[in-house]
Amino acid sequence: MPFQIVKPGTQFDFLGKWRICVTISALLVLIGLLGIQVRGFRLGIDFAGGTEVQVRFLDAGGVHEGDIREVVSGLGIPNASVTRFGGADSQEFLIKFRGGRETEAVAEPDASGDAAAEDVETAGEAAEDRIFLLQETLEETIGPLEVQRVEFVGPKVGAELREDGVKAMAIACMLILIYIGFRFSLRFAPGAVIALIHDVTITSSVWILLGLEFDLRVLAALLAIIGYSLNDTIIVYDRIRENMELRTKYDLKEVLNRSVNQTLSRTLLTSLTTLAAVLSLLVLGGAVIRPFALAMAIGILVGTYSSIYIASPSLLWLETRFGGGSDGPRAIAREAPKRETPKRSTAKTAKAGSRRRRRPS
Amino acid sequence: MSLRWRLGSVAALVLLLGYLALANFFAEERRAQAWYLPDEGLRLGLDLQGGIHLVISPDLEAAVAQELGHIEDGLAEQLEEKKITGARTFVEGNRLEVTVAAASDAQAIRELVKDYETLQVVGSDAERLTLTLTDEWRDQVHERAMLQVLEVYRRRVDDPQTGIPESVVTRQGQDRVLIQFPGISRIPDIFRKTGHLEFKLVQDADQSEELLRAKHPDGFPEGAEVVFERDKETQRILRAYLVSQTADITGDYLTDARVGFDSRQAEWQVDFTWSREGAEIFAALTEKSIDELLAIILDGQVYSAPQIRARISRSGVITGRFSSEDAADLAVILRAGALPISVNIEEERTIGPALGADSIRSGVWAAAVGLLLVVAFSVGYYRLSGGYASLSLLANLLMVVGLMSLFEGTLTLPGIAGLVLTVGMAIDANVIIFERIREELRGGKAPRPAIATGFRKALWTILDANITTLITALVLYEYGTGPIKGFAVTLSVGILTSVFAALVITRLAFAVYPGTRHVEQLSI
Repeated sequence: MPFQIVKPGTQFDFLGKWRICVTISALLVLIGLLGIQVRGFRLGIDFAGGTEVQVRFLDAGGVHEGDIREVVSGLGIPNASVTRFGGADSQEFLIKFRGGRETEAVAEPDASGDAAAEDVETAGEAAEDRIFLLQETLEETIGPLEVQRVEFVGPKVGAELREDGVKAMAIACMLILIYIGFRFSLRFAPGAVIALIHDVTITSSVWILLGLEFDLRVLAALLAIIGYSLNDTIIVYDRIRENMELRTKYDLKEVLNRSVNQTLSRTLLTSLTTLAAVLSLLVLGGAVIRPFALAMAIGILVGTYSSIYIASPSLLWLETRFGGGSDGPRAIAREAPKRETPKRSTAKTAKAGSRRRRRPS
Repeated sequence: MSLRWRLGSVAALVLLLGYLALANFFAEERRAQAWYLPDEGLRLGLDLQGGIHLVISPDLEAAVAQELGHIEDGLAEQLEEKKITGARTFVEGNRLEVTVAAASDAQAIRELVKDYETLQVVGSDAERLTLTLTDEWRDQVHERAMLQVLEVYRRRVDDPQTGIPESVVTRQGQDRVLIQFPGISRIPDIFRKTGHLEFKLVQDADQSEELLRAKHPDGFPEGAEVVFERDKETQRILRAYLVSQTADITGDYLTDARVGFDSRQAEWQVDFTWSREGAEIFAALTEKSIDELLAIILDGQVYSAPQIRARISRSGVITGRFSSEDAADLAVILRAGALPISVNIEEERTIGPALGADSIRSGVWAAAVGLLLVVAFSVGYYRLSGGYASLSLLANLLMVVGLMSLFEGTLTLPGIAGLVLTVGMAIDANVIIFERIREELRGGKAPRPAIATGFRKALWTILDANITTLITALVLYEYGTGPIKGFAVTLSVGILTSVFAALVITRLAFAVYPGTRHVEQLSI
């Protein structure tokens, strides 16, 4: 036999360790919560609103953060942060501050009213466009520069993105709950969703501990994790179902343990290959994509751990707690739909719909 | 289907999509010239080619206030005709308030307002009537303002002289405008202005507002305001002018504006032409005001205030110490017309062209190295079968890029990340199949049945695993904005093709070898 990452016939008692695992996960979440207290829950400008300007000075050498800070405070921009981007002698700087291009409270209502109809108050616009002012002033006082990147999110858009982000996570979780419910049985679904919420929570906790900001890229990573971490869980659940169909009488814990063991190499290998691709993105992909790759890498590690140590124990716990004794496991097997040739359709709703109709009630 | 047919059709599909993907390796001019290359390739998102992504929201409430202002004018006239004195009208926000002296007047006004189909009474008491636009009419006013704003921006973008080629102005949702400028990293001046041009006779002028106030100890006359002429560089106030709040004539009557050069003063200027109606107003204005100063005001700033020397009708010039660019910008703004209402920038994402090029380079590197790692792993771990998996992975990449080129999809930096992620995830399906085959082999099955069972049993696992990822990708597409949508697109397409690659192409490879041959050992 060729090289194998997991020796065939392993008999690790994964489920026996559930107390330890739940403790570890709970601790991580707790540390994350503490991290919010210590480090703060940091929202990037996508969600909090604000401005990031990245500029590169074209004249070689000599520009320091202090020079830029002076210009920034000279313009009366409060709470700005200036950091050098790249190496110690790079001429690239990242300037972050709240506010940006919005024009605050223009068009004061005119008492007589008729001027308001004709006259559009816009004089404030140029004066309050901080990004424009900053670029002009930096160029005048320090030297020619190239604008590398500007990201400005106004408060209204920030609030919308925040809302959409939460909505997207909730909807993704719900749709997956529904899908797993249809494909397996409703008893499998909560276990999968517990694992999924676990992954998102732990990844976020690690993110908070690292003192990093949540922005759209991290949201994209978290959503991808929701979809991806489930892959491993599905591999295990599929095997559990298969093993249940083999016999009519079994010990649920034993079946779960065997299933996890049998699929262990698959779980590890699939995560490993994806991790390899994500790591190459992390190292080589550039600064803009780095937060995404890092969050994704953490999520893949946590997701693999959870599909081994969390998803099946949750299933066991739910079954023994709510499953109604020895009949429970068999009920799962009975409810499990028979395999059938897949339709050449990938539209999830169509599939879910047709499945519902075919299902005997 | 016979093996030959299956092989042929799959190869044809992959080669066709591969051919479409090929377009992206050649420059656009080259593609257009060479008949053998496909014309359309992937579009690069603004975050890769560099450019500005702007989301603007027009102040629609101001449009409502303007509309109420017009209605108010009409109403005031009618009140005068009906001899209802003591009634006062004024606009406050989105409401039109009418105060009356006597209760009988209130009834008369109520009758009068009934004829206005666009107004509704939202509150009234003995002395006061509160009116707003009906919901339907308010929506129409919003809609009209949006269309006007869009039109003005389109004209500015498309202007042959200073417009930005390939720019896109589109509506986003109900009340926003999305403007995309490719290839530049600073918002051009012509988009920073509203473009509201006014001509006003100067009542008085001095070096500062304080000095003006000193000249008018009893306060400024009613309906007057102070406007300033500033130095272009330092924004220092050069001169303060006392003018009326209402314009004597506005830029709405212009038909054309061009850059001109005054050779005597050696100065750039903007030549303009009035419409017939505008020319009449302007002629009357200049005729009665010879020797007075006429302030030319754009967006509340005085450009210049020349002395009227003679009656002018059809055409005129605007001077104001312009550089040639300033003059050109102003001409464009005047030609395109003024924005009817003020606008706010809600969101901006700008990437400089240099950073965009960097992103492409590092993205392609990451994809190449990721691919190499995954191929090395699968060949090292699964030998020949790993080779099959690598083959189907390559075909998968060709298909993703080919499909996206076919539909002229936009590739963004997160999109490249999605591609790299697809590389990592596409191999997963193969791993699931191969591990299952290994398991069957260990169970004592012969290679051929093991392969068949492996594919059969892995099928639903693969579909389930990929459908859940697809669900999240679709949710992300629905809720994501800008470049993030690109991630959702490549990920979704990648999931579809990778399922096809694993279930069809890898399987086909096994059908070729070992196929129907009897083998003792499977290289897996």
